[in-house]
Amino acid sequence: MLLQQLINGLTLGGVYALIALGYTMVYGILELINFAHGEIYMLGAYLGIIFLGLFTVTGLTSVSLPLALFLTILLTIIVCSAYGFTMEKIAYKPLRNAPRLSPLISAIGVSIFLQNYVMLTQGATDKVFPQRFGDSGLQFLNVNMTYLQALIIIVSGVLMLSLHLFIQKTRMGKAMRATAQDKTMASLVGINVNSIISATFIIGAGLAAVAGIMVASYYGLVNYYIGYIAGIKAFTAAVLGGIGNIPGAMLGGIILGLVESAGAAYISSEYKDAYAFIILIVILLIKPAGILGKTTEEKV
Amino acid sequence: MLNLSSIQTSYGHIKALKGIDIEVEKDEIICLIGSNGAGKTTTLLTISGILKPDSGDITFEGESLKNMPPHTVVNKGICQVPEGRRIFPRLTVLENLEMGAYSLNFKSQTSNFKNNIEKVFSLFPVLKERTKQMGGTLSGGEQQMLAIGRALMANPKLLLLDEPSLGLAPIMVSKIFKTIKEINEEGVTILLVEQNAKAALRLSNRGYVLENEVIKLSGTGENLLHNEDVKKAYLGE
Repeated sequence: MLLQQLINGLTLGGVYALIALGYTMVYGILELINFAHGEIYMLGAYLGIIFLGLFTVTGLTSVSLPLALFLTILLTIIVCSAYGFTMEKIAYKPLRNAPRLSPLISAIGVSIFLQNYVMLTQGATDKVFPQRFGDSGLQFLNVNMTYLQALIIIVSGVLMLSLHLFIQKTRMGKAMRATAQDKTMASLVGINVNSIISATFIIGAGLAAVAGIMVASYYGLVNYYIGYIAGIKAFTAAVLGGIGNIPGAMLGGIILGLVESAGAAYISSEYKDAYAFIILIVILLIKPAGILGKTTEEKV
Repeated sequence: MLNLSSIQTSYGHIKALKGIDIEVEKDEIICLIGSNGAGKTTTLLTISGILKPDSGDITFEGESLKNMPPHTVVNKGICQVPEGRRIFPRLTVLENLEMGAYSLNFKSQTSNFKNNIEKVFSLFPVLKERTKQMGGTLSGGEQQMLAIGRALMANPKLLLLDEPSLGLAPIMVSKIFKTIKEINEEGVTILLVEQNAKAALRLSNRGYVLENEVIKLSGTGENLLHNEDVKKAYLGE
């Protein structure tokens, strides 16, 4: 029972972590809570259905299912990243030097726009994500882990590890960290701050796109408002780990997933969505900077 | 090499520079002195493209910098060590130096990068012992050395230094001034902004005195050191 909840929690937590990364990366650089980020995840889920449907109709899924799935994920990432990139250019960049409340309001505007845009183009009723895995899976120690769960855990783990290495080791990753710490100085060493910001939105949107496809196939149903609750939960995960802190978002997401599935199993599944907010309240009371968040100290 | 003509810059509605003319020739050390709020930092930020001038023109090796974004100005060979040093506090010393070389598109293993970093380490041996330490944990003097080292990583033709001696112990101040001289002898042109007017004028070929957002005086370092007005206002004699 405990092990089963651990697996369920990791599945959910991996997905929350992927979305939380987008929040935390954007916050780290722009100090902006991108409230429209959850909608990118929702778009990812819809695009997953559309592309997979397209490949089913054209017969690619019966030729090679792995190839069809790979192409679905790849195309979804590309389109969602384009949405993320465009969102920043239209809604946030013109407000770069505006008071901090303005981009926040703009973010809420983008969020409402994207929800309604999807509702109008895709309809207000639930869409079914084509099930490709069934309920088959691995049985061990009285535990049932579906192949889909295994896939979600592995994919989110690999993506988080790659992102971590990218941020820590590559030239662009280091430039991202430098930009997050001091934008003016970053431009004085020759970093094009605008491209770094664009890259941040593109990467965040790509991760959310993957999360969208995975959740849609996990739960099987998609609606235009799923981005809202997932976004709020991922935001909670980011705050829990320490907003602006990348390993923090990963940790926060996994903890949130574990708490939610344990809560649903041992306390009550009715309150499944409430646990995230209880955590948010507790963390804000006890350690507002988050688990890995540090209150910054700088020498003068 | 660098030419500022009638540069006017403002912060919102407040004019911070009211028509500045400065000329820097290759291989010179030029200093800009003046009291707080005279517009020294504004001048450097305008050259680097952080602030946009309202009117006038800036040319570097014949090319106008006026509408260039800051990262392009760096690519042209102008690097700035800004006021307050602005070390990336949560990057290591080595990463700070790597960011200094960002405009050169070096891979950390290439020989160019190694050459530059060896040059920086020979100027400031203490940095070599601290490569893995976070920039924010260095002392003020070490941060100043790192800030200068970071700027040198880009192979600048012109180095802009904003108050490099500010807040440092006297022994550190003289070390920094000695190093500036060494850097200049290696072929880097220097534009120095300083409150420590005496030391700056001694070091410089020529100087400009900035007062109330305009250039009030200019001349060789030697002449300005003996100018009565400069003595009274900036040298405390």
